[in-house]
Amino acid sequence: MELWVGAFNLGLLYAFMAMGVFITFRVHDFPDITVDSSFVTGAAVTAVLIVAGINPLVALGLSFLAGACAGAITAFIHTRFNINGLLSGIIVMTGLYSVNLHIMGKSNIPLLDRPGIVSFAGKLNPGMAPEVWLGIVFLLVVALFWLLVSLFFMTDFGITMRATGNNPTMAGSTGVNVNAVKMMGIALANGFVAVSGSLVAQYQGFTDIGMGIGSIVFGLAAVIIGESIVRTRSVYGKVAGVIAGSIMFRLMVALALYAGLNPIDLKLITAVFVLVILVAPKLITGEGIGRVPLKKRIRRLIPARKFSIGLIALFCVAVIGSSMYVLVSRGLTPGKKKVTIGVVQLSDTGLLNITRDSFLDEMKRLGYEEGKTAIFYVENAHGDMATVNSIIDKFLVKKADIVVPISTGCAQAAINKIKDRPVVFATVANPFIIGAGKSDTDHMANVTGVYGAAPVDTLMELVTGIFPGPIKIGCMWDPSQQNAVYNADRLRSVISKNRNVAFVGATVTGSSEVYQAAVSLVGKGIDAIVLPPDNIVFSAFESIVKAAAARRIPIFISDVERLQDGALGACGYDYASSGMQAAKIVDRIIKGEKPAAIPFEQYKKLTIGINSKVAKDLGIEIPREVLARTTVTVGDDRIGLPGSAAKKTDSRPRRLALFVFSDSYVLKLVADGVMDELKKSGTLVRYNIRVDLKNAQNDYATAQAIIQDIVRQKYDYLITASTLALQVAANGNKQIPHIFGAVTDPYRMGVARSPADHIPNLTGVATFQPVESTIKAMRAIFPGARRIGIVWNPAEANSEACTEKARAAATQNGFQLVERTVNSTDEVRDAVAALLAKDIDLFFTSGDNTVILAFATIAALLKERKVPYFTNDPTDIQRGAFFSIGADYIEVGVETARMAEKVIAGESPKDIPIKDYAPEKIGVNQDLARLYGVKIPEHLLKKAAVKK
Amino acid sequence: MISSPALDKPGSRAMIELEEVHKRFNAGTINEIYALRGVNLVIGEGQFVTVIGTNGSGKSTFLNMAAGTILPDTGTVRIAGEDMTRKKDYERARSMARVFQNPFMGTAPDMTIAENLLLAYLRGERRYPRFGLNAKRLEFFKERVKELEMQLEDRLDALIGTLSGGQRQALSLLMAVIKEPKVLLLDEHTAALDPKSAAQVIKLTKTFVERGKLTTLMVTHSMQQALELGDRTIMMHQGQIIDDIPKAEKERLTVDDLLDKFADLRKTEKLTDEIIEQLRREYV
Ligand SMILES: Nc1ncnc2c1ncn2[C@@H]1O[C@H](COP(=O)(O)OP(=O)(O)O)[C@@H](O)[C@H]1O
Ligand SMILES: [Mg+2]
Repeated sequence: MELWVGAFNLGLLYAFMAMGVFITFRVHDFPDITVDSSFVTGAAVTAVLIVAGINPLVALGLSFLAGACAGAITAFIHTRFNINGLLSGIIVMTGLYSVNLHIMGKSNIPLLDRPGIVSFAGKLNPGMAPEVWLGIVFLLVVALFWLLVSLFFMTDFGITMRATGNNPTMAGSTGVNVNAVKMMGIALANGFVAVSGSLVAQYQGFTDIGMGIGSIVFGLAAVIIGESIVRTRSVYGKVAGVIAGSIMFRLMVALALYAGLNPIDLKLITAVFVLVILVAPKLITGEGIGRVPLKKRIRRLIPARKFSIGLIALFCVAVIGSSMYVLVSRGLTPGKKKVTIGVVQLSDTGLLNITRDSFLDEMKRLGYEEGKTAIFYVENAHGDMATVNSIIDKFLVKKADIVVPISTGCAQAAINKIKDRPVVFATVANPFIIGAGKSDTDHMANVTGVYGAAPVDTLMELVTGIFPGPIKIGCMWDPSQQNAVYNADRLRSVISKNRNVAFVGATVTGSSEVYQAAVSLVGKGIDAIVLPPDNIVFSAFESIVKAAAARRIPIFISDVERLQDGALGACGYDYASSGMQAAKIVDRIIKGEKPAAIPFEQYKKLTIGINSKVAKDLGIEIPREVLARTTVTVGDDRIGLPGSAAKKTDSRPRRLALFVFSDSYVLKLVADGVMDELKKSGTLVRYNIRVDLKNAQNDYATAQAIIQDIVRQKYDYLITASTLALQVAANGNKQIPHIFGAVTDPYRMGVARSPADHIPNLTGVATFQPVESTIKAMRAIFPGARRIGIVWNPAEANSEACTEKARAAATQNGFQLVERTVNSTDEVRDAVAALLAKDIDLFFTSGDNTVILAFATIAALLKERKVPYFTNDPTDIQRGAFFSIGADYIEVGVETARMAEKVIAGESPKDIPIKDYAPEKIGVNQDLARLYGVKIPEHLLKKAAVKK
Repeated sequence: MISSPALDKPGSRAMIELEEVHKRFNAGTINEIYALRGVNLVIGEGQFVTVIGTNGSGKSTFLNMAAGTILPDTGTVRIAGEDMTRKKDYERARSMARVFQNPFMGTAPDMTIAENLLLAYLRGERRYPRFGLNAKRLEFFKERVKELEMQLEDRLDALIGTLSGGQRQALSLLMAVIKEPKVLLLDEHTAALDPKSAAQVIKLTKTFVERGKLTTLMVTHSMQQALELGDRTIMMHQGQIIDDIPKAEKERLTVDDLLDKFADLRKTEKLTDEIIEQLRREYV
């Protein structure tokens, strides 16, 4: 019974919101998303005022005004600046989120045992079941609301408002200030939504920052369902339809929950349902979507209106049908002697999952077996507070003997709703701030459980044990999460007692902002990051590790699970013990103890851990006293420590990743060179090394994925070929020793400042195009030439570097370099022609990808004017270059492999300087030489490897 | 006040005055249209003026300028002696009502006849949240709707969307005059109707204008209407008023005379042959 009555009551309270959506969507003709936030605004204002001791009715009135202001702002943006209504709504909704947080001051305000309209109504109960009595009261209130709203729509002003939405041109011509009326309408609508938020907050006993998510879709669904069940032209009927739609929707949610459908799916079904209802009539008539209507016959059979009724019927049948199916397949009524336990968790967070699983395991160990001696209803609200309430209603319907809420939010909802049976909470940071009790022994009679605030003091002892001097600590948290704020505050207060420690904070609103916050902290010169519990921040822990790695800043965290992922130290409770302790309490209650007599318990098992690998990487010495306190140590000390590496060689095969960016000819040569050298030198066999070749197929995203995979699999060594491969790898890998080859200029890319000063885990071979030798050769072949033409694309960093070298070399050799720049390949032709008009004697291209694509064109133009073409790639000779000096890329590969061998033998990449190495290979086009009547000096001809 | 030959009742007050009104649409773009090029006009209180002119000559723009839905680039608009140049349509609606060419523009389709009339009845008044459709008002609306002779008097709670174009336009006209405005603006308000409805709407127009002694500006596509109705006819071309025919002259004119007049104008090179031909096609 409670489930249905509860849903009915929620439907009545949400009817105010549905009415708001009706006004924006049906009267003013646009769905105003502001309601998602103004709902919370109403709840927030009410909560703050009630806690401050203001009369709840006054609070309700002010909530209405606050919501109305929000709506007015949306309408103002929409009408004054002519911005699309939907967009205006999104803008205000987003901004309002912060405003709501400011109003509340924290993310969640409990209203338990506070005077409120709902609790006042409850006190007048003449002795009915509380929910039923509330239902009657709500029904009366909503009936009054229905009457008032209907009458309003028939007043002069109401009619004007409807006409404004229906035909603004005409309204304007009869003297209506359309924008002003629209503003009032949207304000009124959001006022109603805020009233709804206020009442729901009082009903559920708290306000939470996340309680408004999805309001607009719910409101639309209610309006549409209402229109299809109450089909009438009369204003009374239309308004009644909105209320009925709201109730209907809530009942369907309850039914789905009762049957065990996943609440997440329900949202998807609702969204699809709303979409179909909006689109179906248009599809059938073809109106407004510029499409040919469905065949006439079909149209005659099913007129659009009937079609949408049919769809709604189908939707209801689908929900009811699947619910029934689940019910029947489960067996309808549980046996009598079994004990029934409802477990609900707020979201899919690691520590909540651990708590739940350990609770269920421990229950099993204590002899409560699903189906035999006990029935468990295990539910997850997936972060939606409205769902938590419905889940608890469901537990009551299923006659759960004991309800076990996991997480603070669930505990709050449960203790507010359940007074007649035991509630045992688990993994709650602080049960006192949600009103569950005053002390461990003095608490609500039907409530007990396990709690514990993460030991931030112990965590800080760990930090100060390792860094005894003055340090600056960075910390971040999501202010929309009550626990997070609580924990951050405690950390701050612990720190404030220590003169040596300074505190820098950063807040985030969602996991996507964590990286940025971490980077900003790192930029403020902190010495360590300390993270007290915060589900949002923890969920983006990897990004913090990344940000911290850039400046080699250690991380301390309140979650031991995270030690492996790159934290230096961790200190936290073992949440498994929370679940186990809760199970033991449940067992005691089943055996007859009264919850009132069972004190709240704190978690017992504290874990302190150190990641020795991270410590080594950061070069941090962990003091003996600190090590003595730790209960776990993770990480091995192999990487970066040549001495220990030698010890372990035999035990385990090592793995080397050879990563090339693409299938290009040059990179193939490099890879071949690397493999030849590694095999020939016997390194692979001696050190038991397996080589895996990775190829990004010229795709940046693939390259990223490959590097991530290499890091995750903890390869022992990494060799990269090509500049892009180096770039991606240097960014994604800070640990695995990395040797690069086939790179023109590592200094320009920021991985090194000079050969000896580079990122510690990498080194390699830099191969600059032999520009100087080429220009020297020009002088040798053409003693009388004066002007060299060059075309290059300034957007190519590599080309810019080559050109700079060419300028210097040209001057040295008595040439003048005549330059033309291009932005794309199709400009090359004109650029070359322009240079030819300037009487150049020779032409030169070096490492420019834009220009080289026009190679054939350039070669033809030059040949016509008998201007010799010099390049830095001997393979160009076949295609019409005159003379080329390039690097021998097999040799580059060999040299790269030789450097890798040093690392494998135990040297640290940090100590190996980057080597500039360009083994030269010469190509000569003798056909052209004859044609131009030029004699190539003997010494060059002898060295030429490519001739034509 | 500027003098005009057509202010035929000397001493009467000017109701609508346009002084050197210029309007360009999409100014500064390649789509620039110079829609009004220095319009000067004075319409006396109680005068009924018909407006003719080729397509795109600026008639509607001119009317919208009076209504306030389009504001001029330069120039002055005075209504009943008051400078209204920068006032929006809803600020002028107290003294001014209009009927659109499209019957769908003048009514709210998803609301009832009575509700639409109420909206018009509140023209220029504050709209309080007090109960709108009381018995007294409904009775009044019923009386007025009867005058339309459209068999709507017993269907006051029918939705406008279910009515024919003629019925909707007759209602639009009633909505325009129900509050007895000072000025009535009609923009080809019979152009989209069938001949029978059109005749009825014209008949109603005449009745309402005469009864209320309304200052009226009526754009029309029919020479016949232009001559038969009103005290004065103005002709527009390329954003300018090129002719202004007073009542005395109108009474002597036939449709053919009017077309001859176009021919005369041609001699003064204001009109070209094609335009005469176009006028003949459109208006006869
Ligand atoms: N809102 C507008 N934007 C751009 N051009 C317009 C607009 N309204 C009218 N015009 C242009 O101004 C000129 C005059 O239009 P209009 O006054 O409607 O002519 P008429 O009613 O005499 O046929 C036409 O060329 C028309 O295309
Ligand atoms: Mg027009």
